Amino acid sequence: MIELMNDSLCFSFPQVHPDAKLEISFIRTLRIPDDGAAYPDPPRLGAFPMVHVDDYENSVPAQWLEWGGVMLPMYQSEALLVQFGFGKTRYPFAVKLAAGKINALTGDAWSNDLTPYPQDYAVSPPQEEISGYCVGRGVVRQFIAMPLGLGSTAEEQLADNPKYGGVQVCAYPMKAEEFERFSKSPDEFEVMSGVNEEQAPFHAKMGLGLGGLLGQDVKLDPFGYDVWDRQNRSRCFVHLTDSALWTAVTGQDPPAAPPRAMHYNLAGLPYHEEIYAPTPVHEGSRILGKLRTIEAQAGD
Amino acid sequence: MIPKENVFGEFVREKRLALHKEDKNYSLRKVAMRIQVEPSYLSKVERGEQPPPSEAKIVLLAEDLGEDKDVLLALSGKVSSDIQEVIRKRPALFAQLIRDLKDMPDNAVLRIIREVRDGNW
Repeated sequence: MIELMNDSLCFSFPQVHPDAKLEISFIRTLRIPDDGAAYPDPPRLGAFPMVHVDDYENSVPAQWLEWGGVMLPMYQSEALLVQFGFGKTRYPFAVKLAAGKINALTGDAWSNDLTPYPQDYAVSPPQEEISGYCVGRGVVRQFIAMPLGLGSTAEEQLADNPKYGGVQVCAYPMKAEEFERFSKSPDEFEVMSGVNEEQAPFHAKMGLGLGGLLGQDVKLDPFGYDVWDRQNRSRCFVHLTDSALWTAVTGQDPPAAPPRAMHYNLAGLPYHEEIYAPTPVHEGSRILGKLRTIEAQAGD
Repeated sequence: MIPKENVFGEFVREKRLALHKEDKNYSLRKVAMRIQVEPSYLSKVERGEQPPPSEAKIVLLAEDLGEDKDVLLALSGKVSSDIQEVIRKRPALFAQLIRDLKDMPDNAVLRIIREVRDGNW
């Protein structure tokens, strides 16, 4: 099941294992330049607030009620990263992430099952966050909020009938017996990590467009496809609203003002390099790599 | 008023001593220092010679011992202020709800936790 607590989606699977818990938050970040260079992780500006769409059934678009889930407010051109939080037991999950029902790792259309090749899911832990569309080995293109209708989102560039926008997530816990085995003998999984490397040679409504390049590894599955409990999954549609729609629906101003020049000036220095673990990383999607960025479209 | 049964103090002492076996940072003095009370006061609380501390101190103690703050607050006979605020908004409704839940098994209570609803997409 999924609960909304402290602006996080809290996935839990008590029927699988008491420790099978994962939190997913959506974090505001500064937008990095789209100048061809790969930037390190930009500073974070806190979690986006989220509310149940059902709480505003009289004011949200009817379609949103059909799709269910939660909604969060974003300003146009604001950047977002998806952050995974896990407890002390580090119960592993396979997580599918899409924007406008376009898989953020492969560029493929949404499906409810996991695909091992090319891997269309992240594994958390170890993955702590995903900041954008996976367009190459060790690089992602930042998730940038754009209104639907401008042709800027990945969905509008790839789907025949773009209409969804938003972000979609689906989490699958590791099978309980695999987790117990892993807890007792973690070394066994280190061996599996090598096996997996051989198996995976490649690797109003708003949506998410493609921003600048960020250096970020999307790690390949270190556990193996068979460990995931694909019979037990929970998924959520996260609707993105612009500030005007948020105010119209909730009657409240968006809780945070858009980032200002000051934030960017300050950000000239505090970028922090992440130290990457030597886990094999996703090759990125050739489909997504060919899409046009917001900056490129603006230059036309 | 000191509760007749020292369930709060005994629980805290039991958890602290269990942690102290593994880690000397959980001595009475060091825990007291971290939650900013006198060691003699914490000792009296553990022995039931003083009533449980304030909500703020109980929250700090729960964090320090790695326990659930709501469990410690309940053992001390308190309800956290955020929950009180929720109840104050609809007191009759929540009083009825809690009475109805009184004898319900855990799995049934879990079923009424509000879930994020998935739709057809």
